[in-house]
Amino acid sequence: MQNTPQQSPITLRINAGLKKRYNTEKRFKRMGISAIVIAMTFLVFLFGSIISNGYTAFQQTYIQLDVSFDQTFFTGENLAAANFPGLVKKTLYSMFPDVTSRNDKKLLTQLVSSNAAFRLMGMVTKDPKLIGTTQKIWVLADDDVDMLIKGHYDRNVAESNRRINDKQLAWIDALAANGKITKKFNTQFFTSGDSREPEQAGIWGATRGSIYTLFIALALSFPIGVAAAIYLEEFAPNNGWTDLIEININNLAAVPSIIFGLLGLAIFINFWGMPRSTPLVGGLVLTLVTLPTIIIAGRAALKSVPPSIREAALGIGASKIQMVTHHVLPLAMPGMLTGTIIGMARALGETAPLLMIGMIAFIVDIPGSVTDPATVLPVQIFLWADSPERAFTEKTSAAIIMLLAFLMLMNGLAVYFRNKFERKW
Amino acid sequence: MKMKALLLASALTATMISSAPAMAARDYISIVGSSTVYPFATVVAEQYGKSTSFKTPKIESTGSGGGFKLFCSGVGVEFPDITNASRAIKSSEVETCAKNGVKDIVEVKIGYDGIVIANAKQGEPLKLTRQEIYLALAKEVPDPKNPDKLIANPYINWSDINSSLPNTKIEVLGPPPTSGTRDAFVELVMDEGAKSFEFIKKMDKKEFARVAQTVREDGAYVEAGENDNLIVQKLQANPAALGIFGFSFLDQNSDVIQGSIVEEQAPTFENIADGKYSVSRPLFFYVKKAHVDVIPGIKEYLGEFSSEKAWGEEGYLADKGMIPMPEAERAQYAEAVKNLKTM
Amino acid sequence: MDLTADMTNQPFPTQLFGDDAIDTAEEKAKPSSRQTVGDPFVENPRMICRDVYVYYAEKCAINNVSIDVGRNEVLAMIGPSGCGKSTFLRCLNRMNDTVGTCRVEGDIRLDDMNIYDPSVDVVPLRASVGMVFQKPNPFPKSIFDNVAYGPKIHGLVSNKTELAEIVETSLTKAGLWNEVKDRLHEPGTGLSGGQQQRLCIARAIAVSPEVILMDEPCSALDPIATAKVEELIAELREQFSIVIVTHAMQQAARVSQRTAYFHLGDLIEVGPTDRIFTNPRHQLTEDYITGRFG
Ligand SMILES: Nc1ncnc2c1ncn2[C@@H]1O[C@H](COP(=O)(O)OP(=O)(O)O)[C@@H](O)[C@H]1O
Ligand SMILES: [Mg+2]
Repeated sequence: MQNTPQQSPITLRINAGLKKRYNTEKRFKRMGISAIVIAMTFLVFLFGSIISNGYTAFQQTYIQLDVSFDQTFFTGENLAAANFPGLVKKTLYSMFPDVTSRNDKKLLTQLVSSNAAFRLMGMVTKDPKLIGTTQKIWVLADDDVDMLIKGHYDRNVAESNRRINDKQLAWIDALAANGKITKKFNTQFFTSGDSREPEQAGIWGATRGSIYTLFIALALSFPIGVAAAIYLEEFAPNNGWTDLIEININNLAAVPSIIFGLLGLAIFINFWGMPRSTPLVGGLVLTLVTLPTIIIAGRAALKSVPPSIREAALGIGASKIQMVTHHVLPLAMPGMLTGTIIGMARALGETAPLLMIGMIAFIVDIPGSVTDPATVLPVQIFLWADSPERAFTEKTSAAIIMLLAFLMLMNGLAVYFRNKFERKW
Repeated sequence: MKMKALLLASALTATMISSAPAMAARDYISIVGSSTVYPFATVVAEQYGKSTSFKTPKIESTGSGGGFKLFCSGVGVEFPDITNASRAIKSSEVETCAKNGVKDIVEVKIGYDGIVIANAKQGEPLKLTRQEIYLALAKEVPDPKNPDKLIANPYINWSDINSSLPNTKIEVLGPPPTSGTRDAFVELVMDEGAKSFEFIKKMDKKEFARVAQTVREDGAYVEAGENDNLIVQKLQANPAALGIFGFSFLDQNSDVIQGSIVEEQAPTFENIADGKYSVSRPLFFYVKKAHVDVIPGIKEYLGEFSSEKAWGEEGYLADKGMIPMPEAERAQYAEAVKNLKTM
Repeated sequence: MDLTADMTNQPFPTQLFGDDAIDTAEEKAKPSSRQTVGDPFVENPRMICRDVYVYYAEKCAINNVSIDVGRNEVLAMIGPSGCGKSTFLRCLNRMNDTVGTCRVEGDIRLDDMNIYDPSVDVVPLRASVGMVFQKPNPFPKSIFDNVAYGPKIHGLVSNKTELAEIVETSLTKAGLWNEVKDRLHEPGTGLSGGQQQRLCIARAIAVSPEVILMDEPCSALDPIATAKVEELIAELREQFSIVIVTHAMQQAARVSQRTAYFHLGDLIEVGPTDRIFTNPRHQLTEDYITGRFG
């Protein structure tokens, strides 16, 4: 006889299988962890490459000019009409007195951005007292200079294959030796609209366009989506028509968004005569794109409200609409908001439907209202990615960073709202 | 409270939308059209916007065909004023225009765009003829043993076509059929290359188009998307590959890629401008005359575009990679612009 | 505590109707008989139900039931699971309207008003016939708001003081006031199960209903909470008519004056609670209360 307690045959059977059961669990855990590791690696790689390509765009190269606002330049009444490009040129020639040939002079003026003249114009029209004085003014360098300073151009390739030739290199080095070239934070990138000169290009126009477009889309799709979800879920009779509508909404959620662009072109622009390329039409089209998502998310959120709450409200004599607005809707709101924000995040990234309604466009002026022509962030990225100038590469990545930042902000908002409304009790 | 705010927002939006169609006038120029002309027209537009009191024109990149379709839809503020094109307007498009009341159209040629065949600097520089390019890329080519018969393209390496070419695999990254660059490439290179064979040249029009313009699908030609920057990047990663794209991308990336010599001529600015480099096409824009006095600033925009400082030999468009027209041609079109001479 | 003793001493409305299903008290109705035996009807009833049929789609869940609900009485409904007790209870305030497939036939009257008449609005009806559910289901709002909700939506109060008064009296009647008076603005869902159920009762009585329907109100509660609720039911009878569904026969015995026994959609027997439990007249009732099935 052994001392160990006798184990029943059932316990033995259970113990025999235990190891296998635990192994299955371990295997599953390992698979889960590796899936997450793979996903994180991709994410880190994506972010890493975008950020490493784009972070340089947040700085821009400036050249310091010793501008003497000579009286002779400002003879006319209208200060803005003065020959500011000429002033920039004269300043550069005076900084490099050895440059005499016509060709060299042209090469020299290519070092500063065409924006420099407009900057001087702005300064003088704002403060006419500058006339007659000499000022040290930092102006934007040309994008090729910027690329060179940031190390994106190789100095060692043959001269004919460089966009900056040997003479220009020598001038840039001379400026740098005198501390007249520096990199500054690129505020312009956040305050100006599109430009074909990479050093002047900014995302504010596209950002405004995105904000207006999303505002319209949100202001329409949220109330319509919530109302439709409530009607379908709580009020619609249970019949073939309702089923048909439900199937169609589910199908619409899967329709490629360019179809909505075509629809928008046909209805909003051609039939209603709304202006092309505007956030108004863009917002309407994106409303169509996001509505199915919002309705489906809204219905799911309504479905998840426990029936006991509905019974409690009805049992006390609340009418159906009171039951919905007082009890069901507040409980479904976090889910609906999450669905809406996910829909909006999708809308933020859409370009295809906007092609049809003319929002893939070069627009310099910052839109001031929903009826001004505008473009949106993803379109700006698309347009820059397609531009020949090398300096747009980093701008493209920088714009992607901004778009991602917006997406994160929106998802953060989704989480915040969800917690806020859920935590209430 | 929340409900009310929501209702208010929707009411606001509703009024905004219902009042929108009322605003009929347009105070900016609306331009559509070719993505090849887009990088040049936008420079002009930006310059014009900054140096005049007018708003900067809106330029949509719709492709030449899409541009004509919009342009020809009618006369009125909701239709574009100008369309850019990397080819001349077709007679069918002129008819559509006329049917929709767009009768007086001013055609303006602005310059040329070269199409280059390039590879990475690490690769060997190539010297090609249009016939060789045709043989390398067409789906069906004349049988080398029986030169009156077509067979499926047998060439694998460049040296199979011409022993003086490098012994590397034929691998060409180029634009998809939806692209204007592809149309121009087919017309300027493939058609010409095919014509160098007498029996293909004699074929009827349809058959010729099929033989000359069908690109092989066995992986030697890779459709790399509309984005030329992407092709440039892929070339750097794969020095054995060739890419087909617009001259301005070669111009901007001359430190990392090199253009192949075609028919003895290198794709340089000068050679394209002189017309020596054969693979180049004219660029145009078309103006709706009926809009000129309605939409403010069109005349000034045309003036800016046709000024020497824009499209001249030393102009800023040349800096961006557009090949200017010869002086006489510039003068001719500047005159046409000035008098709004219709087609 | 012995609630039963207290209960069975109460004077009971004695006038009986429809006692002709059997001839003598000794002879039991056969198990195959589906005719209601006992005394389904009372004098001066609060609610009258006649020839009620309920169908879920094609399925008949209640088959020809006729019964009265008296004033100031607790009517218990017992029977095996699935026999239709809840279904019948929910007919009395038309909660079955919310089930799409459910169809109710027959005549159900509250104080002579046919509650299924097309002209009748369910909103005031449910204010008059309140309901307490099996699982405590307070709103995810404060204790105060839970009780105040009914009076607010029905416009029973004109100012805040009145509302506060109603809330206080309702909570007091529900025996909850002393436990929650310092935490009125804390969530109702934070109370214990028994307190939550009493909160639900307070919520129901805040609109001064005539009838309160309770569907197994104690089945989710522990014995102590159950005792409290049962005590409360006994007190509420002074003011309201109460119909309670229960699967615990002891509970029916403790709280009710009359008991109705349901079997597979049929109302088998109705009678004074003490008689049903001591001397059932139908074989099925006897089998059930003696535990032969259930
Ligand atoms: N919503 C419903 N749809 C279909 N059948 C139902 C529904 N509710 C209850 N039933 C059916 O009606 C019968 C009675 O149910 P119920 O009244 O809930 O029984 P009890 O409350 O006595 O346990 C059961 O057979 C049940 O399956
Ligand atoms: Mg039940």
